[in-house]
Amino acid sequence: MTADTVDLDELERDALTELVNIGVSRAAASLRKMVHREVLLSVPSVEIVTRKSAASLIGQRESESLVAVQQQFEGPFSGRALLIFPQSNGLSLVRAIVGDDMEEAELLDMEDEALAETGNVILNGCLGSMANMLRHGLKMSLPDVRRGDSTLLFEDSDGRGDGGFVLFLYINFSVRERDIRGYIAMIMDLPSLEKLKQLIADFIERVMTETE
Amino acid sequence: MIENASGPIAEHLDSEMNAAQRRLQLVLDAAGAVGGWEWDIANKRLVADARFATITNQDPVELADGVSTDRFFVSIHPDDLKRVKIAVAGILAGSEVFSKEYRLVRADGGYRWVRASGRAVRDDDEEPAKFIGTLIDITEQKRVDEQLRIAQSAGGIGTFEYTVGYGTISVSEQLCRLFGLHPTKILPVRTLNNFIHPDDDPIIDLSAADELQSEGNKEFRVKRASDGKERWLARRGEYVDDVHTSGRRYVGVIFDITEAKETQQSLRQANEALAEVARESLRERDRVWKNSRDLLVVIDTKGVFLDVSPSWLEILGHAPKEIIGKRVLDSVWPEDRDQTRSELNKAADSIHTELEVRMTHNDGSPRIISWMTSREGDRVYAYGRDVTLEKQQKAILEDTELQLRQAQKMEAVGQLTGGIAHDFNNMLTGVIGALSIIKRKIAAGRTDDLDKFIDAATSSAHRAASLTHRLLAFSRRQSLDRKSVDVKQLVASMEELFQRTLGEQIELAINVDEETWKAETDVNQLESAILNLVINARDAMPEGGQLTIETTNVAFTEADLVKGETLQPGSYVVIAVSDTGTGMSQTTIDKAFDPFFTTKPIGQGTGLGLSMIYGFTQQSGGHARIYSQLGLGTTIKLYLPATRETEAQTSLEKEVEVALPRGEGETVLVVEDDDSVRMLLVDTLKELGYRVIEAVDGTRALPIIEGKGRIDLVVSDVGLPGLNGRQLAEIAIAARPDLSVLFITGYAAAAAARAEFLAPGMEMITKPFAIDDFAQKVKEMLTASSSR
Repeated sequence: MTADTVDLDELERDALTELVNIGVSRAAASLRKMVHREVLLSVPSVEIVTRKSAASLIGQRESESLVAVQQQFEGPFSGRALLIFPQSNGLSLVRAIVGDDMEEAELLDMEDEALAETGNVILNGCLGSMANMLRHGLKMSLPDVRRGDSTLLFEDSDGRGDGGFVLFLYINFSVRERDIRGYIAMIMDLPSLEKLKQLIADFIERVMTETE
Repeated sequence: MIENASGPIAEHLDSEMNAAQRRLQLVLDAAGAVGGWEWDIANKRLVADARFATITNQDPVELADGVSTDRFFVSIHPDDLKRVKIAVAGILAGSEVFSKEYRLVRADGGYRWVRASGRAVRDDDEEPAKFIGTLIDITEQKRVDEQLRIAQSAGGIGTFEYTVGYGTISVSEQLCRLFGLHPTKILPVRTLNNFIHPDDDPIIDLSAADELQSEGNKEFRVKRASDGKERWLARRGEYVDDVHTSGRRYVGVIFDITEAKETQQSLRQANEALAEVARESLRERDRVWKNSRDLLVVIDTKGVFLDVSPSWLEILGHAPKEIIGKRVLDSVWPEDRDQTRSELNKAADSIHTELEVRMTHNDGSPRIISWMTSREGDRVYAYGRDVTLEKQQKAILEDTELQLRQAQKMEAVGQLTGGIAHDFNNMLTGVIGALSIIKRKIAAGRTDDLDKFIDAATSSAHRAASLTHRLLAFSRRQSLDRKSVDVKQLVASMEELFQRTLGEQIELAINVDEETWKAETDVNQLESAILNLVINARDAMPEGGQLTIETTNVAFTEADLVKGETLQPGSYVVIAVSDTGTGMSQTTIDKAFDPFFTTKPIGQGTGLGLSMIYGFTQQSGGHARIYSQLGLGTTIKLYLPATRETEAQTSLEKEVEVALPRGEGETVLVVEDDDSVRMLLVDTLKELGYRVIEAVDGTRALPIIEGKGRIDLVVSDVGLPGLNGRQLAEIAIAARPDLSVLFITGYAAAAAARAEFLAPGMEMITKPFAIDDFAQKVKEMLTASSSR
């Protein structure tokens, strides 16, 4: 990580990972309700990288084109959240959620809609519970679906031009014995990131005093 | 548990309990046993089993009954405590999975590593109600993991695990580095496969994803994500049963083998290059072997042909297969076998030999082959050339040369005798002419100026004598008697001779530079050379003309001399003889210094003149040059090294009439078969005051020697009929040991071998000789003999 970024220490990283895990657990619980199936989500690691690194990180790993569900969030820290899948995994997720009964054509018709809805559940659950744990609220925009390569997904669509950073999460889905991998990326500017870091520090402080 | 216990019983129980706990501790240590807990979130109570209690150093009874939840954190290493608290907070807030590794402080102050795995149990509202999990001692595993990590990073070995059917693969950081990827723990198989060269095997073959992969070793090229460089990686691994699923996992390692591959590659290239060189030299050797026009053979040290080249057929008429395996000697011409046998032994013993042997051709005729052999180990390699034709041609050539030399010799002898006769005639003419003048003058009674003519006659006769000397010198290549010679004085002294030689039709001009240096040379040879040039000049002007003799000096520096010139830089005296005669063509000039070359008709010149002059100047350290033009005349210049030395020129001094040494009545025996010579000797000796006894030959002389009469000296010719001079002398000295013998000889060979010929008490004088010299010699010998 470069010097002009926000660096998290090990404990902050643990805390952030935990916060995200709480978020995805909530999202998984929501998904379970939707599909009446066991859904497991886990986040093995969290990183803060630049936009460019985030693009190359996914670009390296994924050779096919990507599909992403995108939502803006506003609050103590603001930015854009992306739930990213390789195109085929996206379809698998939709299939997992809607069940095997639906025809292929029908499925393709409603793919974007289903993806947007699923993404909304996951992102909302994730960001919402994170904000909750940090004792703040977040306003989320409506989801939209984007397709393209990693560079396109991480491009500076906000027009703020400050480069920006990405809170990058690698997540594993397990739905109906299908392994689906995806990523959650939260694109934020530096002030938002600093605010987040501050909130994490507060959270750690609270945890320590509560359990003493 | 017994409550309110006190006294010895309680103490006893306590100690029993401690012992039991200690035993349990030891068992736990050995078994890595699992302890369980249940955290009631709503009621904030923690219940845990005995193993949990033991591993966290707590009272198992209390934990079994339930305690406050902060007891969960008892004994956690302070450095790990915050981490664990955050993770627990996550669970309490809704996180689903708890998995932490941390340290627990042991009772003895050390610590153990444990893994706590737990999950939240939710109530009907999906809210976390209980947090349950297990604690397992992983100290040993940690150490092994650490060792493994160090081994992996030190060895550059990346590890991976692949569960059959999955699309992802668990990888180590080192593996990511090998692929040039950001470190991560899980990667899609396809991601890794995409970096692998399309021609190589993928790391995991997804075309049959649900089947077992080949367990064998793989090697593949990857294009590294970080820098795009191609590297060679190797995969090794095996299948193990997956403990979590019922499937199988492939556990493997990946490591970089680029350098080994590159080494292999360069080794292979080097090998191929070497093999190509070897093949090429083999081909070359085959070409040489097949196409050689000479014989190439391989022989073992026993003298048997191991291989012969196809040229054998052409040169000796046998196909190689008829020869291979046969003895070398069988192919050798029978007469040469004995000699060849020893030569073969020599070839087997030494590294290189050369021999010429006659070999038998298939048609039964001999062929002369010149062999060169070279031994390497127990093989003798021989190279043979057919020199039969060369030998025959050489023999013919030698024969022809011999005939040519004979013809040339005959021609040379003809020219020489003719030339000598001519020169001799000239000199005799001088003698005869002078004598006839003297005779006329005596007859007329005019005896006052006779000396002049007597001198002239004597001079001519001396020259005739010196001609024969020169011939001897030429044949013997006698070294020059070099002295400092006053050239201008020499030329001046010869003027009268020139006048007489030239006759009236030719005008003589002598142009001597007064400053002319002296020359370092042989005076007699120079005199002869000048006379020769004058005679040549005269002969070139049959119709008359002008003859000029000049002397001058010249000093050559390096720059004055053209390349190839035999002259060295230095000072020279130049003697130039010019005529206004017929001149010479360039062809004639080119050959003028060759021996026996003459433009004169046979009988008029030896053809030795110019070549002798040339040789003489060269021998003197000088040179001779010809300048000539047809119809205008010729100039010949002699260059002789100059000397500033002044020395008495005894030989050039005007011959002074000295009184001849006279005898004192000693007895001399003269043995000579030539009447006129004997008469001359006898008359001279008598006139000098000796008593003389004559003998015609050795046979007649013997009685006189053996008689009693006085004999002081024997003067004898060497070449006598019958008993020769040498034999006579031996008898004489045997009879009279004090006797001296003076030999007179005209025989060159005897003169040349003077030292071997003469015994003590013997001397020799060469014909023709001056009476003065003869008188001197006789006197010397008698004086020496009387003083013995």
